[in-house]
Amino acid sequence: MSNRQSFRSRFMRDFMMNKYLYIMMIPVIGYYLIFHYGPMYGAIIAFKDYSPMKGILGSDWVGLKHFEEFFNSYYFLRVLKNTLLISLYTLVFEFPAPIILALLINEVRKRAFKRVVQTITYMPYFISLVVICGIITDFTNADGLINRLIMMLGYDGQAMLQKPELFRPIYVLSEIWQRIGWESIIYIAALMSIDLEQYEAAKIDGASRLKQMFHITLPGLLPIITIMFILRMGNMLNVGFEKIILLYNPVTYETADVISSFVYRKGLLEFGWSYSSAVGLFNSVINLVLLISANYISRRVSQNSLW
Amino acid sequence: MRRKVLSTSLMILLLGTTILGCSSGDSKTGEAEKETPSGSTEATTYPIQTDKTLTYWGEINGNLIGVKNSHSEIPFFQKWQEKTGVPLKFTAPPTGQVRESFNVMLASGDLPDMLEYNFIGDFPGGPEKAINDGYILKLNDLIDQYAPNLKKYLQDNPDIDKMVKTDSGSYYVFPFVRGDEYLRVFQGPIIRQDWLDELGLPVPETIDEWTTTLRAFKEKKGAAAPFSVVSKPRFFNDSGNGAFLGAFGVNRGFYQEDGQVKFGPAEEGFKEYLTLFQEWYKEGLIDKNISTADTKSVDGNLASGATGASVGNAGGGIGKWQPLVEANDPDAVLVAAPYPVLNKGDIPKFGQLNQGYASEGTVAITTAAKDPELAVRMLDYGYSEEGHMFFNFGEEGVSYNMEGDYPKFTDLLLKNPDKLAPAQAISLYARSSYNGPFVQDKRYAEQFFALQTQRDAIDVWKNTQAAKYNLPSITPTPEESSEYATIMNDINTLVDEMTIKIILGNEPVDQFESYVAKMKSLHLDRAIEIQTAALERYNNR
Repeated sequence: MSNRQSFRSRFMRDFMMNKYLYIMMIPVIGYYLIFHYGPMYGAIIAFKDYSPMKGILGSDWVGLKHFEEFFNSYYFLRVLKNTLLISLYTLVFEFPAPIILALLINEVRKRAFKRVVQTITYMPYFISLVVICGIITDFTNADGLINRLIMMLGYDGQAMLQKPELFRPIYVLSEIWQRIGWESIIYIAALMSIDLEQYEAAKIDGASRLKQMFHITLPGLLPIITIMFILRMGNMLNVGFEKIILLYNPVTYETADVISSFVYRKGLLEFGWSYSSAVGLFNSVINLVLLISANYISRRVSQNSLW
Repeated sequence: MRRKVLSTSLMILLLGTTILGCSSGDSKTGEAEKETPSGSTEATTYPIQTDKTLTYWGEINGNLIGVKNSHSEIPFFQKWQEKTGVPLKFTAPPTGQVRESFNVMLASGDLPDMLEYNFIGDFPGGPEKAINDGYILKLNDLIDQYAPNLKKYLQDNPDIDKMVKTDSGSYYVFPFVRGDEYLRVFQGPIIRQDWLDELGLPVPETIDEWTTTLRAFKEKKGAAAPFSVVSKPRFFNDSGNGAFLGAFGVNRGFYQEDGQVKFGPAEEGFKEYLTLFQEWYKEGLIDKNISTADTKSVDGNLASGATGASVGNAGGGIGKWQPLVEANDPDAVLVAAPYPVLNKGDIPKFGQLNQGYASEGTVAITTAAKDPELAVRMLDYGYSEEGHMFFNFGEEGVSYNMEGDYPKFTDLLLKNPDKLAPAQAISLYARSSYNGPFVQDKRYAEQFFALQTQRDAIDVWKNTQAAKYNLPSITPTPEESSEYATIMNDINTLVDEMTIKIILGNEPVDQFESYVAKMKSLHLDRAIEIQTAALERYNNR
């Protein structure tokens, strides 16, 4: 590294050496510029009363009116609490699930069995959400599949989606079922890149398979786990409203109504473009803060971080 | 080593990034003032000679889902262009997403010449706001000059005229008018007549008779869900019209009584209704899965005999369910039951009754229209003699024949060779089975309701005092509209929670008072005030 050369000449040399890599980067950079940075200026409608006929620039400024309306809303605390709780539960229960599955698959010796397990677990990911929710609704009905099993054990069946206290468990469990296989792929891929020599060495030292898992496999996975975790933190408040809307009903509002479904009922159906943008912006700011703190903590603690 | 894992993983991550594009459209600003040449009304001769093509945005009716995919494949819309002489270019929103698509289209600022949309029900702030925001044109002068047929109809029918105007007297659409009392009632309680006969019970009229009947259905007919209704998106959707609620003197929205505007769920009667339904639910007289009951599950329950009573339409209810129940039980007959009352002989206070002016299926002309005059002349066709027959019955010799002076639908529509239901077949050739910019004719319904039970149903359900207590289609002022929407959004969420929690027994009926107190703290009084002022403005139109 000679710092005396100008940046330009270093860059040119690098460009010459890796010309094709640079060319391959162009579409990616273009995509982010066009679809992610471009629309950002539209976020200013959160501070305006947007009317399409006046255009983004021509609409009147209203300052923080929409934010105030959201924070002062009767249901604000409830939807915030539900959003955080559902996110937290998904983080605690759903995030580790694919890691555990990947470790288990890794321990299986029979290739054919591995393949079958992987295929079966990632199938649900490709079923449309509407169909999944239809299945969930049918299964949890008072006379649905799950309740029939419960009745066989001698308990009473009940329509589970009518129980506010059961909404989150149903949500999280079905989330795990749908995503576990798909999300384990990345961990399985990461396992492939662990040096086999390490296992050889450990075997010679007399480590059992369990010991190998704890001392070689898990540390090998840790960087990717950290990164996935940081990325997950950045989506903490984005509980998808589609699934919630398909599953909830007024009985379960108290545990199921989240920011996005609330905004859907209020913003989209009432043409409140500015209001929805304000809430979206609020969401993004919180997510950004979470992402940066997760990254900071992770860098301090484990030297793994996104930047 | 660590680096290698990292880079591998990041590569996988990047490859796995799904592409979700979201684009923001910029919009044209400023609207040129449209000048209208002055002159008295002139008649239009159809077909109009023109070389222009107009653009038209509108939903394809639900009857045609899976039959035709676009307007241009539907015979009615092909003929409509031919008869008026105006070529049209159609765009249609995906079924079931009309409101969202409309929303996106407005936000893009890229408007067609004509919009078929419900401006009272589905446009926040109502038609007045749509004009003020510069989306659609005020049509007063245009109708005055170029729409003689509609103008004459409105002059002859002042009651309709009052409904199709805004408070400030602006015309904003070419309206869909239900031209006869008979067409305004089409919904009510429906029950299995054959079960009643077998059990020796009369058709229930009072709440007590209903309780007896449902008990008998449960105990003697083994019905697992004696009474079931569609409850998506709100519990007991159709109770909005006051079914069962009406017995206790309320409905689920605003109504007028003794010159006062009242909100049903905050009145004492609503508590009595909750008490009754809580008892029914506890006793197993209502579907156990009621909070997740959608169209599919109600259809299934009726077909299998788990349910013996529901609330539905003459066409989409009795008409749809009769073949389903027959398939399972050849003797099954569904009939209409009157709206329930407390004391025998009372006339129900509420029931489904639509206004003569239905705000759906109406066509507005946008500020982007290149030639508003041509659009107006074209839309006026639906209100002419010839257009009236075309919109209601289609093409003579194809979809109907005159027998004397009565237009009779042909077998192509009523016994369709492609096995289409009458509602679907009629929708191919005419618009009378749903809506549109014309006056609906009673003679369509007389033939459309194929079963005697359907025709009788209208007479049974008609017997209510809804006309007296229902509010007309009033709208808040554009300034008040967002305040009103915010208040009612919160209150309706509260009403839905209260209703279902108490009925399912999660909360005692005594909670009702605290809910009403919450409604008050959410400014229910202000909403009533806004509605009262709107009613006053309406009455002064």
